[in-house]
Amino acid sequence: MKHLVYLIIGIAVTVLFFILSCTDGFNIWELLYFNQGYNDKMYNLDMYPVIAAITILVAWGGAAIYYYAINSVKFDRWYHWLAVLGVVAVLAPVVCYIYNDTVFANNGLMYIGESIQFEMQTVLFAALLFIVASYSMRWWSSNCRHTPLPQ
Amino acid sequence: MRRLPLLVMMCVLLAGLAACGGHGKLDKAVRSVLVSGDTTRAAYDSLCSLVTENPGKYSDLLTPEGKVDHKKMADFIDKIGSQLRPPMHWDTRPYGGVDDLSLTVYFERSGSMVPYDQRGGGGQLKKAVNDLINHFPAGSKVDINIVNDGIYPYQHTVDEFLKDRDIYQSTAGIGDASYTDFQLIFNKILEAQRPGNVSVLVSDLIYSPKDTRGVSLDKIFNEENSLATRAFAKYKGKSVVVQQLMGDFSGKYYPYNGVPFEYSGKRPFYLVIIADNDAMDQLAQDKRYSGVLDAPAVSNSYRFNQSTSEVECRVLPEWKDNAGRFRVKHGDGIVLAKCDGDRQTGKLCFSLAANLGSLMKDDAMLTDVSNYEVKSIDGYTLTVQPIDQSMVTANNKEYLEGMTHVLTLVGDLKSPRDEVHIALRNELPAWVRQSSSTSDTSAGGSFSTTTLGLEQLLGGMFDAMKGGSNYFDIIINLQR
Repeated sequence: MKHLVYLIIGIAVTVLFFILSCTDGFNIWELLYFNQGYNDKMYNLDMYPVIAAITILVAWGGAAIYYYAINSVKFDRWYHWLAVLGVVAVLAPVVCYIYNDTVFANNGLMYIGESIQFEMQTVLFAALLFIVASYSMRWWSSNCRHTPLPQ
Repeated sequence: MRRLPLLVMMCVLLAGLAACGGHGKLDKAVRSVLVSGDTTRAAYDSLCSLVTENPGKYSDLLTPEGKVDHKKMADFIDKIGSQLRPPMHWDTRPYGGVDDLSLTVYFERSGSMVPYDQRGGGGQLKKAVNDLINHFPAGSKVDINIVNDGIYPYQHTVDEFLKDRDIYQSTAGIGDASYTDFQLIFNKILEAQRPGNVSVLVSDLIYSPKDTRGVSLDKIFNEENSLATRAFAKYKGKSVVVQQLMGDFSGKYYPYNGVPFEYSGKRPFYLVIIADNDAMDQLAQDKRYSGVLDAPAVSNSYRFNQSTSEVECRVLPEWKDNAGRFRVKHGDGIVLAKCDGDRQTGKLCFSLAANLGSLMKDDAMLTDVSNYEVKSIDGYTLTVQPIDQSMVTANNKEYLEGMTHVLTLVGDLKSPRDEVHIALRNELPAWVRQSSSTSDTSAGGSFSTTTLGLEQLLGGMFDAMKGGSNYFDIIINLQR
């Protein structure tokens, strides 16, 4: 039952993250980096929900791969988990940057510097979501459920 | 089996994300049109097709007959536009359910007008009228009348009028060409005007009533002023645009209480365009009528408004003159939050793109900051410049789209909160005074560029149609 509560909280946090990525007044992506012209374009071109979805998928996907695909006693140490977190924290901003750049280019816009700065947030959000996803799903892993910290 | 709760909850997560995400197909299409600036008839038609192809889904946008309800469609587009940054408005009236405007030309045929269309002259007067007719879409209803002591229908077709090389010759003998009764003409025009009609008086705007022997010029000016006020004050909801053009004049000029003399050279003439407010707005905004109000031959123009106008404006986040930092708050009104002065100078400088085109004032007036009133605690100063293509970049295009001027404000950011008021004062433009004369007895001086008593006539119209003390008001709230 305790594990199910972790999972429900993890999902609630993730859904809240997604909702706060779609809103106008308070948008989680505008907390740490804000450049009016750049952020307005992101909002008008409906990019926030996609960026959020990519981050969620990479984070939860990374956790799922670690706990259920890798799922090996050979990789059940905390630094193996940290390595996957590192991969997630790099992969998510790279994918988001490629998406950003493609949409901006299709609309004749140029925001290279701003996009790089903006994607620094994605590193943070992807890492946080990976931790959330890890604590949501690790309990059902046969070999890695004690990673990163034994319970 | 033991992973079943995990799988179920993952499905819940995906369903949650899908439910939160994005807009319907029509929402997305409208958003895309507004963001890309593709606000054309073709884009509007494709949106309508989307609605008619999915009658079940978009039944609230259809009439009981299954046709697109253009009013509801406009509201829907406005709702999506208001959610954008900056909020966008697309005037779709020209594309759906709005009838074409009709045109009625009132061509003055008094003695003083005949020299404007001599065979040896440049024919600017006739060309201006022909252009006016041609700028209305093919199929629009066009009527032509001849005016002097009264209003007389032109007896030929519009095509014959366009081809007529000697319009005063072919209309000789119509009415009494020795005087022009503006009171009667304005009253008849305003009385005859129906919704959707645009009436245009082509005239030199020289008031020449009957039997003025021994009457002083001041008395005539006062009479002229009063009759203009009286005629227009009676009819509410009208907009009038007066355009000044220059034409070749060759022939006898009849001065007021003076000896007629021969004159060859330039002289001003005028198009007085009269329509209901909404018809005038349509004329200004509907691209099908482009050229009517912005003809290149027009040297000066002025729109008489009856009320303070709403001016669309957007804060420019990326602008060369911006100094300091601010964040535009989205919602009602213009609010700049988290304002911070420039690190070196302490000044805050921000710019707004505004659509002043709908006011139909000439550029000299709009860019002269002495015509504006700017109030604020920190003493912000204003500069106004017209937008030209060299200013438009891919990144600022959507802010400048449909806008005509950039209003830049600079001030020392000292107060924690400030409210900057910008107002364009409602005054008769300088060109009216500069184009008006109090004597026309000789061809010397400014005779070639002035009209006797113009200021009094247009001043009378101005008094009748002056709605408020300002053409528009903009309030910008600044918060630190």
